[in-house]
Amino acid sequence: MPVDLRETRLPGIGTKFTFRLDDGGRLAVILHNDGVRELYFFRHSDDDEPKAVIRLDDDEARQLGAVIGGAYERPKIVEDLEMALGELLIEWEPVPETSPWIGKTLAESGFRAKTGITVIAILREPEPVTGAQPDDVIQHGDTLVTVGKAGQYGAFRKLLAGS
Amino acid sequence: MTLAQLSITVALLAGLGLVASRVGLSAIPAYLLAGLLLGPHEPEALSIVRPSEVTDFVAEIGLIFLLFFLGLEFTLGRIARSRGHVFFGGAIDVAVNGALGLLVGVAAFGLSFAAFILAAAIYVSSSAVTVKGLIDFRRLADDETDLVLAILVAEDIVIAVVLGFASGGGGGTAHTLAIVAKAIGFIAAALAISKWLSGPIDRLLDWLPREIFLLAAFAFLVGSAALAQELGLSEAVGALMAGVVLSGTSIREEIEERFFSFRDVFAALFFFVFGLSIDVGKAGSVAWLLALAVVLSLVGKIGGGYVSGLLGGYSRRQSLNVGVALVAHGEFTIILAQLVSGNPRISDATQVKIAAFAGLYVLITATLGVALMKESKAIGRWLFVDWRRDARRPA
Repeated sequence: MPVDLRETRLPGIGTKFTFRLDDGGRLAVILHNDGVRELYFFRHSDDDEPKAVIRLDDDEARQLGAVIGGAYERPKIVEDLEMALGELLIEWEPVPETSPWIGKTLAESGFRAKTGITVIAILREPEPVTGAQPDDVIQHGDTLVTVGKAGQYGAFRKLLAGS
Repeated sequence: MTLAQLSITVALLAGLGLVASRVGLSAIPAYLLAGLLLGPHEPEALSIVRPSEVTDFVAEIGLIFLLFFLGLEFTLGRIARSRGHVFFGGAIDVAVNGALGLLVGVAAFGLSFAAFILAAAIYVSSSAVTVKGLIDFRRLADDETDLVLAILVAEDIVIAVVLGFASGGGGGTAHTLAIVAKAIGFIAAALAISKWLSGPIDRLLDWLPREIFLLAAFAFLVGSAALAQELGLSEAVGALMAGVVLSGTSIREEIEERFFSFRDVFAALFFFVFGLSIDVGKAGSVAWLLALAVVLSLVGKIGGGYVSGLLGGYSRRQSLNVGVALVAHGEFTIILAQLVSGNPRISDATQVKIAAFAGLYVLITATLGVALMKESKAIGRWLFVDWRRDARRPA
């Protein structure tokens, strides 16, 4: 997430998102109520006039969003990361509020034995658990950092949710 | 109005609207101008359309659609979210421009109900013209645009109440106060319905078959306008509040989509029909009034917006942009004049004067406002030289 993303309502028009770029520029995205998107680019963040304005209809905006988001081709550095992991994925899995495993230890849950997914860390406030141990207890609001194969995650999510 | 006249009218509206959009103006002054040209008054050579029951009916439907759509954009949540801005920007705006408007009103009609309505017509800027300008001149990403839109929202709230009693007030003070109280009660009831009953209304409309849905929404709209009229209020506030009630429901978007084309056609015809009633021959009698109002509006809108901007922490240039964006007047000024023309407690001479004034005032301020808005950044750079900035980044 960009550090400085600001959302503002424009009554009667739509919603505006603004963020500052690393190189000192500023980008504003306006989502019109009628589906049109506009991109305003300011070379310096306090410039009066935008350097460029791009106007996109709904289809074009979605297309562009998919390209930028990496749906078609991933930047080289991301590909390298995936190569290093090979078949393995690292996934962040929030624990549902209704999970039967809240209050139980990782050993009791048997995630690895039943699904092949390993919990390697737990994200929680105020202090995350790094290098999760079998006797660590799952709590409300936890997010589990897991390693596993893509095909194992369906079973894992079912088990975690208790269904 | 015959079909032949209607076809010429609509073709002229489309033509002038196109010209207006080519030169970057809002279509509202173009439609007014069309009415003025083709109407029964000067210039006589082009007088082909006479006001009749048909044109009145068309204007009525146009008015209802126009306000219904304004209401749909008006959800409570949006207002609540921008509270701080709305409050101080809106308060300065109403204090300064309301007072200046009243000055013009009293100068024209003495201390009377008509003077008060004229004040409201001079106070309220045009959301339609301003928003179009903000989009066309690429101002949406500017920080001060938030304040401009917040002030427009505050104006909408104030003017909703004035719309309520514009067509029924006047006469004695007691009578007028009763109408004002009724208008406030009506608006409060609609807001309460919007807040607490949007769920059931939503389910009911959702349950209706698609082909009935449009009719049901239309019946609700016209029914609300009729109810307001029965209560002695104007149909305008009924239509506005019908929009507000439906704005909180999930079917808002579908209504907007389905009614959009109606609104554009009927709103164009509404402004056109109003244009018919503008008597340029009377321009002489309102000339000094117009000149005074235009000058005071420039001072009040630009000055008030500038002060609001500075208080809101914006730079001097940004604050100037805020004020300039509010110069244009439009739909609400015309709507108020139209409501007055149906008010039996205001004399015919006054009605004609207000209609001529409102039409010409909108033509002037909408044109002037858009031209100023286009150049406001250049004017700001020229007026407020920022040495720090220039030193840092020489041109």
